[in-house]
Order: sequence, then C-alpha cells, then structure tokens
Amino acid sequence: MAARALRPLILICDDELPLRELIKAVLGDRYRYVEAEDVDQAEAVLRGTKPEAIVLDVMLPGKSGLEFLSELRAEQEAREIPVVVVSAWQSADDQRTALKAGADAFVGKPFDPKDLASVVEALIAA
Amino acid sequence: MIAVSTLGAAAIGATLALFFVANARLKSANTASARSAVVSAAAFDVRGSVTAIDVALQQVVDEYSPKNVAQWRRASRSWVTPTAALERAAAATNDRQEQRARALRDEIRAYIDDYGDPVVGIAKVSPAAVRSSVAHTEGARRLGQITRDTDAVARSSAVIAADRSAAAGRLADQATIAGIVALVLTPVLLILLGLWLARVVADPLRETVAAASEVAAGNFEVRLDDRRRDEFGELAHVFNAMTESLAVSRSELIERADSLERSERHKSELISMVSHEVRTPLSSVLGFTRLLLERNLPEADRQRYLEIVDAEATRLATLVSDFLDARLIEEGRFSLRREPFDLRSLVREQAEVTFGHDESHELELELPDVPLRIDGDRARLAQVVGNVLSNAVKYSPDGGTITIGAEEASGHAHVWVVDEGTGIPPEHRGQLFQPFYRGDAAAAGIPGTGLGLAVSRRIVEAHDGRIGFDPLDRGTRFWFDLPLEAAGNGRR
Repeated sequence: MAARALRPLILICDDELPLRELIKAVLGDRYRYVEAEDVDQAEAVLRGTKPEAIVLDVMLPGKSGLEFLSELRAEQEAREIPVVVVSAWQSADDQRTALKAGADAFVGKPFDPKDLASVVEALIAA
Repeated sequence: MIAVSTLGAAAIGATLALFFVANARLKSANTASARSAVVSAAAFDVRGSVTAIDVALQQVVDEYSPKNVAQWRRASRSWVTPTAALERAAAATNDRQEQRARALRDEIRAYIDDYGDPVVGIAKVSPAAVRSSVAHTEGARRLGQITRDTDAVARSSAVIAADRSAAAGRLADQATIAGIVALVLTPVLLILLGLWLARVVADPLRETVAAASEVAAGNFEVRLDDRRRDEFGELAHVFNAMTESLAVSRSELIERADSLERSERHKSELISMVSHEVRTPLSSVLGFTRLLLERNLPEADRQRYLEIVDAEATRLATLVSDFLDARLIEEGRFSLRREPFDLRSLVREQAEVTFGHDESHELELELPDVPLRIDGDRARLAQVVGNVLSNAVKYSPDGGTITIGAEEASGHAHVWVVDEGTGIPPEHRGQLFQPFYRGDAAAAGIPGTGLGLAVSRRIVEAHDGRIGFDPLDRGTRFWFDLPLEAAGNGRR
C-alpha cells in the first residue's frame, strides 16, 4: 500500500468522460488520478492536494482551460506544477497561446497514446 | 440670359431699321428734288410760252397783220405742251400742286379764250380800241397773275423738296447718332453678356465640377442647388438623383459586404466548431483503438474500451449526419414523412434521452392526461424537441430545473421548455433563428453548430406551426405550436 501511495498524482481536467478514461488508460497504473469536469472542480481539487502534473483540456464549459492555467501560474503554491495542454484546437496559433499561458507541453487531439505518455513521464521526471 | 440677348438684338435691330428708314427718306428726298427740278423746268417753259403769247398778242395789237395773227395762233397753241408737262410733274408731287397746275392751265386758257382771242377779234375791226389802257391793264393783270401762279407752282415744288431733304437730313443725323450709340453700346453689351455668361454658365459649371470631384472622392452627401429653371437646374436635378442613387447603391453594397462578412465569419466559426466537435470523439476512437492494438489488456478493460469506441464512433456518425441533415433542412431540401401520433410520447422519449446521462439538472415533466394527436414527421419533431431540450441543458451550466410541458391551446399542441440558465442577451434575440448564429456561445465554450434552432424553425414551419421564445427573469421559455390533428388544420 505504501508503494501505491508513492505513485505520482495526476489531475485530469476534461469535460468529456471518454477522454478522461482514455488518458487514464494511456498513462496506465503508474500514476494515481484525480478528475475534474471543469475549472471549478479542478480548483476544488487543488485546494485539497498538489498533483505532480495536470493534463488540461482547453474547451471547458464555463471558464476556459487557458484562463485557469494563467491564474494557476500566478499562484505561489501551484505555479510549479507541470501542465500538459490537450486540445482539439491545435493550430500554431493555438499552441503559442497555450505555451504563453504557461503550458509546459502541448498535445493535439486526436493524439498518439505513446506521445502523451512520454510527455507526461518527461515532465514528472524533470 | 434670354432677356439680355433679346435686349441686345432689339437694340441692334432698331439701329439697323433706323438706317433703313433714313435711307428710304433720303431716297424719297432725292426723288422730290428731282421732281422739283422737272417742275421748275416745266414752269420755265410755261412762262416762256406765256411770254410768247403776250408778245404775239402785243404784235397783233400793234399791227393787225396776217403774219402777226398767224404768229398769235401759233403762240396761243404753244402753251399746251409745257402746261401738260407741268401738270404731270405737279401731279407727281402732290394733289395740291396738281390743283395749282390745273388752275394755271385754266387761267392760261381763260386768258387766251376770254382776253387774247377777243382782243385779236377787236384789233381786226378797231385797232385803236385794243390799244386803250383798260384793255391793256386787264391783259397785264391776267399775265401777272399767271406768272405769279407759275412761280408759285415752281416755288412750292422747291419748298416741298427742301422740306423732304431737311427731314431726311435730320433722320440721317439721328440714324448716325443711333449708329454711333450702337457702335459704343455693342461692345459694352458684349462685355456685359460675356460677364453674365460667365456668371450663369461658368459658375454653375464650376460648382458642378467641384461637386463631381467630391462624389469621385467618395462623398455622396454633396448636393447641387436645383432650383434654377434652366438647363443647369435640370443638370443639378439629374446630378442629385445620380448622387442619391450612388449613395443608396453604396450603402446596399456595404450592407451586402457586411452580411457576407458576417456569414463568412459564421462559416469559419462553424468549420472550427465542427472540426473541434469531430476531433473530440475521434480522439477517443483513435486512442482506445491504438491501446487495444498495442497493449495486452485484461478482458474487462478491452470490453469497456470497445464500448467507448463504439459509443464515440456512433456519436461521430451522428454528428456528421446531423450536420449534413442540418444543411439539407436549412437549404429547404427535405420532405416530411407524416404519420398521426401522440406528441406526449415524443416529449417523454426526448426528455428521457436528454436527461438519461444528465445529473446536474432537475427535470420536470408537465403533460396533459389527454393525448395530443398531431399529424407530422415524428423523427423531425423529435429533432426539434431534442434540440430545444439540449439547448436548455447547454445554456444552464450551473444546473437548475428544466421543465418541459405540453398542452392543448386553441386547436394547437403547445410545447414548451423552461430553463433557469444564462438567458439570451437582448442583442442576440433578433438573430437567434439565423443559421450558424451562436451569440457568445463560442466564446463561452458551449459546443454547437449554430444550426439547431434554424433547423428547428424550418421543421416547425413545414408543419404549419410556429416557434418562439420568451425571455424570463432567470432563464428562457422556448415554445412551439403545432396544429392538432382533430382540429383538421394544416393538413397537406
């Protein structure tokens, strides 16, 4: 049980249930997961715990993922958490905007499972 | 312009007329003086013949001889020709002169008949008697009278000629003065005319050119004064009409360009939206398929992932067919497959479909106890109810109660959906049923194509129904009416 508790915690923030399922399946049981359907839920999660990484969708109902990211980067506590932005909006412009908002990596939808896995792994290892 | 031209032409015409009149008078004065010369010559001849008569009579008185009598006979006939000539010449001058000449002729004839011939007759028998002073005095008186009258005829002719000549001279002087005045006035008038032309022609031309330049520069507000009642007024009127129609065309073009731009923006938003909407389920399908292919997963996971793939692939297919369907309906290329059915069952079904997976909203269903039988395309109307319901869910991100109800209202089935959502801002209310119109939805991250309500309206209207919405204090009430089958309305 102790070994399990040491697995890194990842916050998955996406309004689509199948996508949260997919991300969990892709990243596998090396990690623990906490899920949020929107920014409000994500913020609630962050108030209670500090995940090792966040996988963040952009197009969320209510506040957008990038808005949330900008606010996150302004906070003392959470600014260090690596964030992977996963979005269907994946033009060069969209990617630039995401990186400017404070994303550490950008993965477009649809994505290759191996790509997402290696990006998350690299960010947590760093 | 016409007034001044007329004035100038009249002045020149009058001057020319004066010249013509003066010329005619001079001609007439010439004729008169020529005639006066003829009269003088004739009068001279008459006096000559009268003198010859006097001399011949004197000789007969002095010596009654056949030779002298013959001389008298010749002399008493010699006056006829000159007197007739004088009479003709005098008649050509005027009536008064003619009368004078005729009187003179009568006097001469009277002298010969009443005095000469009797004296000759008396001289034949009593030469002494005719030499008496009485007879002599009478002869001298008559001759004196004849001479005076002859001179009077000649003098009158000369006076008339002189009068005419003087009058002609005065007229010629006047014509000369008029000519000089005209000579001086014509250039002045021409200069004035030029100045006036400059004012009435050049000024409006310059104004027109300036206005045309303004229009060329894009200012369609410029107008010319079209109150003038001449060709320039007409030009100004036409110019203004042209400018006005240009302004109208331009605003129409701008409007069309705006509407094109809006529609382009809507389309590009739609393309973004569709690609996003497609990518999300596609991500699941591709991702899970890849996992299933690459990893050796436990049977339970395999089963679950395959179910997700199936559901997401179905969602994708529905999305694509919905989109194509929406285009067809939007373009009016669809037909209804009508059948009689109870609208309550359709509402109930759609409510279950929409709220089967939705846990964040409370659903309230208000249906009547009696059936609401309508004759319509069940699948299409299900699309309408589903669309209105899913809008209620999408635009109530904070949850709340969504009420769907149906009732009979004056021969129609009235269906309504009330949500407690964000409501529709007044600025978006007018365009809500426009295809691709999404208001602030894209910015707020609410998915959709902007086709739902446009399509719903087409479907409802194809059923001879009406669709609309009422903003509430909190949320919105959408509704549509369809003719009830029992009412027999709207049957095709």
